[in-house]
This record gives sequence, C-alpha cells and structure tokens, in this order.
Amino acid sequence: MIFYIKQFFYAFACTVGFAVIFNTPKSSLIKSGLAGAFGWSVYLIINQFTGSIVLSSFMASLCIGFVGEIFAILCKNPITVYIIPGIVPLVPGFGLYNTMLSLLEKEPDKALVYGSEVLMIAISIAGALTIVLSVNSFRKKFTTKWFN
Amino acid sequence: MHQVNQKKLLVMALYAGEIMLKNGAETYRVEDTIIRLCKSRKFPFVEAYATPTGIFISVDNDGEDLNEMITYVKRIQSRSINLNKVAEVNSFSRKFVDEDMSLEEAMAQLKAIDQLLPYPLPMEAFFGGIASGFFTLLFGGNHFDLVGALITSIFITVSVNKFSKLGLNSFLTYTTGGFIAALSAIIFSYLHPLIHVDKVIIGAIMVMVPGVAITNAVRDSISGDLVSGLSRGAEALLIATSIAFGVGFVLKTWIYLTGGRLI
Repeated sequence: MIFYIKQFFYAFACTVGFAVIFNTPKSSLIKSGLAGAFGWSVYLIINQFTGSIVLSSFMASLCIGFVGEIFAILCKNPITVYIIPGIVPLVPGFGLYNTMLSLLEKEPDKALVYGSEVLMIAISIAGALTIVLSVNSFRKKFTTKWFN
Repeated sequence: MHQVNQKKLLVMALYAGEIMLKNGAETYRVEDTIIRLCKSRKFPFVEAYATPTGIFISVDNDGEDLNEMITYVKRIQSRSINLNKVAEVNSFSRKFVDEDMSLEEAMAQLKAIDQLLPYPLPMEAFFGGIASGFFTLLFGGNHFDLVGALITSIFITVSVNKFSKLGLNSFLTYTTGGFIAALSAIIFSYLHPLIHVDKVIIGAIMVMVPGVAITNAVRDSISGDLVSGLSRGAEALLIATSIAFGVGFVLKTWIYLTGGRLI
C-alpha cells in the first residue's frame, strides 16, 4: 500500500512537471497532475494482476480520458490540456528511443521486439482516448437533441 | 447577425487555426474550430483541411457569382506544444460563436493570444528537472538517480530551448540533447557509486522523447487523418533517432575507453 501511495505521488510530480513543459494554463496544472497520477495507479494495479503492459496502458488511458473529460466539462477547457500531460508516464517514448538505439547498434531483432511493443502501447493508448472522445461527442449530440 | 466581410473572416479563422496547429492541437480540433468560426457568420459552404504542415480553407456564399469563392493556404513551419494558447483559442472561438463580435476585435484578441508568453525558462527548466527526476523513481531508480536526472534534465531543457531559439533544425537540437544526457550521466556515475548510468539517461531524455507525438500520430490515423498521422509519426521517429544518435555516440566512446556493453 505504501508503495502505491508513493508511486501516486511520484506520478503526480512527474505529470505536473511535464504540464509546465507543455505550458498548460496555471489553473489546470494540479488537475492534469491528478489525471496522470490516477492513470499511473490504474496502470500499476492492472499490471500487477494481469502482467500485460498493453492491457494496463489501455485501462490507464481510459481512466485518464475519463478524469480529463470530467475536468474539461467542469472548467470549460479543451480535454487536450489534461490528457497530453496525463499520458506522459504511459507513452512509449523510451521504447521508441530503445528501438532506434538497437537499430544504430545493428541489432535488428531487439529493435523489432522494442518497436512492436511501442506500436502496441501507442495503439492501446490512442484507442482508449479515441473511445472516450467518441463517447463524449455522442453524449453532446444526445443531450442537445434531448433537451432542445 | 450582420453580414461580414468574407475575406476578413477567412483570414481571422486561418489565424486562429494557425495558432492552434503551431501549439500542438490535434488536426481535427483545428478543422472543427475553423468550420465553427466560419459557419457562425452564415456561410453555407466551408471546407477546411489541416495537416501538421499546413492548412487549406475554402469559403463560398450562395449564388452563381464565381468571384465569391475564396481559398487560402497557410504553411506551418514549426510546431511545439503550448497548451495554454490552445485553451485560449478554444475559449475565444466559443465567445466568437456565441456573441456578435466584430472581426477587428476578434483579430485583436487573437493577436493578444499569439503573444502570450510561455512560462519563464528557469521555471520550465526546474519543472523539467522535477519531471525527469520523478520519472526515474517511477522506473525503479533510487533517490541518487533522482538527483542526477534532475540536474541533467535542467541542462537539457535549457540547451534544447536555446538551440531551437537559434533556429537550428530538430535533428541537431535533439542530438545535442542526447549527447549532454549521456555525458552528464557518465560523470554522475563516477561521482557517486549508487547512481546508475542507464536510469539517469532514461529519466533525463524523457523531456525530449516523442512519446506524445507517436500517440497523437496513432490517434490521428484512427480518426481517419492518415496524412497527419504519417507526418507526425515520421517526426517522432526522426526525434527518437536523433536522441539515440547523440546518446549512442557518447556511450560507444565511453565503452571503447572502459569496456562493457551498451544495451
């Protein structure tokens, strides 16, 4: 339990740092940090149960998208402000770097392993975010139809 | 709402789209904003096409007059991420659609948004350091690695910022970043025995690696913007290669001098 609380805090600090690098508005810094921290906790828990990086990235991105959507509705900011810093702990930037390093090292089989993992993680994160955004646009259409 | 000048409206919408695209908005959001801005002033035909490297817009009125059809093309040279401006343009477009704002006022507001300053460099460098430091903890480093990555990342953030202000291309900028990361990680590993070279490098290059870019590339492809997806993906691969080039160069030299393996 102590481990998860520590990791939650680390992910929060990490995400807030990236939010400053991405010039997130001042009022949204803490919120995007929270989105990232919740996402990372979900990632850790699901990764412990299933051992699958792709599945845990998917569920974590769903969580980030959901939290980001709530903040976006509450604060009337575009959801991008919350999800771009939020997904940073999950995104496979390091894997992409490893792929390229293996290629430069003339080890194509390692590059293939890293590269396919990068692609799978990127697809799972992007798919999760697309699902959240599509559900949201459907919800907008539905509410305008229903209440007008 | 009163009738507005078609050309002025188009220039205004193009400017809004340009600000968003330059500062890291998704292409579908840019297209959506441009179409909303133009449709709000009762133009029946609006078509927008945005890719990360350029925007195309056409606007037409009802009627037979061929001279009323206008098309604009805008080339986008450089892209960075500044979510503050994206949020500001977003709330501006809401206001423009809801209110009867004049085009001159809209243009003035957009100019003010475009000139918003980013966070000052010392603050950005410090938070970049924090982000990198805690990233090493997320990936199983110890607290000495945190300090190493924090200081390294401050160097990297400052140098990447200065280099891109000088107008150097991204390959040179990120190669230098990787070079600094590997060099200072090796120096730190000699300063304290508990600092791992690989952990410090992982943390420090996180401020540069294009993880968000590759994810956005896949998102664009999923939503059907295949051209944007491909160009963002190419950009991400290029950045990753240049970082690996810089890091690999230093590590290789170090290994030739001392012995050991790279990956």
